[in-house]
Amino acid sequence: MTPRVRISIRGLSKTFGSGPREVPAVSPVSFDVHEGEFVAIVGPSGCGKSTILNMVGGLITPSGGEIVVDEQRVEGAPPSQVGYVFQKDTVFPWRTVERNIALGLEYRNVPPVERAARVRAAIALAGLQGFEDAFPATLSGGMRQRVALMRSLVVDPEILLMDEPFGALDTHTKLDLHAELLSLWQARRQTVIFVTHDLSEAITLADRIVVMTRRPGRVKLLYDVELPRPRDVIRLRESDEYLREYQELWHALGAEFRAQP
Amino acid sequence: MTKDRLRVLAWQLVILAAVLAGWEYLTGIKAISKTPGLYWIDPFFISRPSAIAARFLYLMSPNVRLSIWQMALSTVQSTVWGFLVGISTGFLAGLVLGRRDRLARIFEPYIVAFNSLPRIALVPLITMIFGFGLLAKIVLAWSIVFFIVFFNTFQGARSVDADLIHSARFLGATERQIMSSVIIPSALAWTFAALTPSISFALIGVVVGEFIGGESGGGLGYLIIQSLGTLNAADMMVALFTLGVIGIVMALGIKQVEARLLRWRPEYQKRRS
Repeated sequence: MTPRVRISIRGLSKTFGSGPREVPAVSPVSFDVHEGEFVAIVGPSGCGKSTILNMVGGLITPSGGEIVVDEQRVEGAPPSQVGYVFQKDTVFPWRTVERNIALGLEYRNVPPVERAARVRAAIALAGLQGFEDAFPATLSGGMRQRVALMRSLVVDPEILLMDEPFGALDTHTKLDLHAELLSLWQARRQTVIFVTHDLSEAITLADRIVVMTRRPGRVKLLYDVELPRPRDVIRLRESDEYLREYQELWHALGAEFRAQP
Repeated sequence: MTKDRLRVLAWQLVILAAVLAGWEYLTGIKAISKTPGLYWIDPFFISRPSAIAARFLYLMSPNVRLSIWQMALSTVQSTVWGFLVGISTGFLAGLVLGRRDRLARIFEPYIVAFNSLPRIALVPLITMIFGFGLLAKIVLAWSIVFFIVFFNTFQGARSVDADLIHSARFLGATERQIMSSVIIPSALAWTFAALTPSISFALIGVVVGEFIGGESGGGLGYLIIQSLGTLNAADMMVALFTLGVIGIVMALGIKQVEARLLRWRPEYQKRRS
């Protein structure tokens, strides 16, 4: 029995501008994401992968096709069961770490006692103890992104959309956050779409990888990652399976980087 | 205090003492002996420290009709009120127009036109309308502060990071919650940055208002214009000195408030550690 489809992308396309200045960003794209599945979208920059994610989140209106999340068509507003982590730093600079993580709970009118307990738990999970009252300006990029991640997770979204969340971090911090994200995901099994241009990141994290072509992006390949879970982000990279998968994907993606439009 | 800071302070005191001593001395000796009234530097125009101090003490005493305390209080009151009303109305207007594009486009020419009018030119009209009391001075200070705060807040409300609004929406915020948790704090950061210039300009507005404001509600500006009428340089110096002290104290106070309100900003974070 296959798990139920939570996100269904059907013939989705997007064109920016109009008339002679029209720029096609996404050619019709279709794929499904199942309950508890971790899907990564990879492709050369400008292939429209972030645009797809923005459309799934309801931030951009598609030019054609549709997105269905839990039997509901996405139109305009973000579906309430969806959390979103941006690549850009979206931590509120005027709020402390603690009050940033509490944001979603405040919006949903969670009573203060429960709110405090959940925030405390999230801070412990992310290893941010001692920084509760720190303002984001005093934190490193990695810590700020950790705060952003916990802020999204503390409201328990069933679906998580992540737009190159670790794109601006150095390799070491990135690996740390991969391990953290995997253990958090292992516990909750959210349905995830993770956009990245980093192939090793996609292989490390995902169950399935959607490989996109150059702009205007189409789905070039749907690739199943066969690596067992739970995964150890460091050991994984030394395994033969990882290298084999990496080569296979690199071939598929490499052709896209070389191809001239 | 470090040795370096002590040395700087010592030099500052030496310069102050030298200027005061020079002032006192040069206004006391005749340029050409026996010719009356010909001083090296004529105290008629700039007075002398000893004369200023004497007038200061006299104006502080309770037996003058309008003591320096009353005048200073009047000036401070007008300034603070003009400042507070200017900040709050400027903030509200900036916030509303900053988030309502059509409204902003409708009002733009009026705002630009009114703001390019030199506010000093309005003093007689404002006095005519609001009388010679405190109110006219408050209105004048307001008319300057309002625009400083308005333009800053307007800019702030316009440049709210769209991704912060998106994040709030994904976390379940209603439009009202987005207003209170994202837009207002972002705009306030810009408003707070306008506090220090606002207080200085409020003081300027009040003093100019007092120039023609007459004795009722007469503050230090009134003392200055009175001294001009009686050609009394010592009183004028007393007023200027008091205004200087008021200006410094207010600016320092506002700086403290600003640092507290914007303590999350990197520049204040660094200073603390």
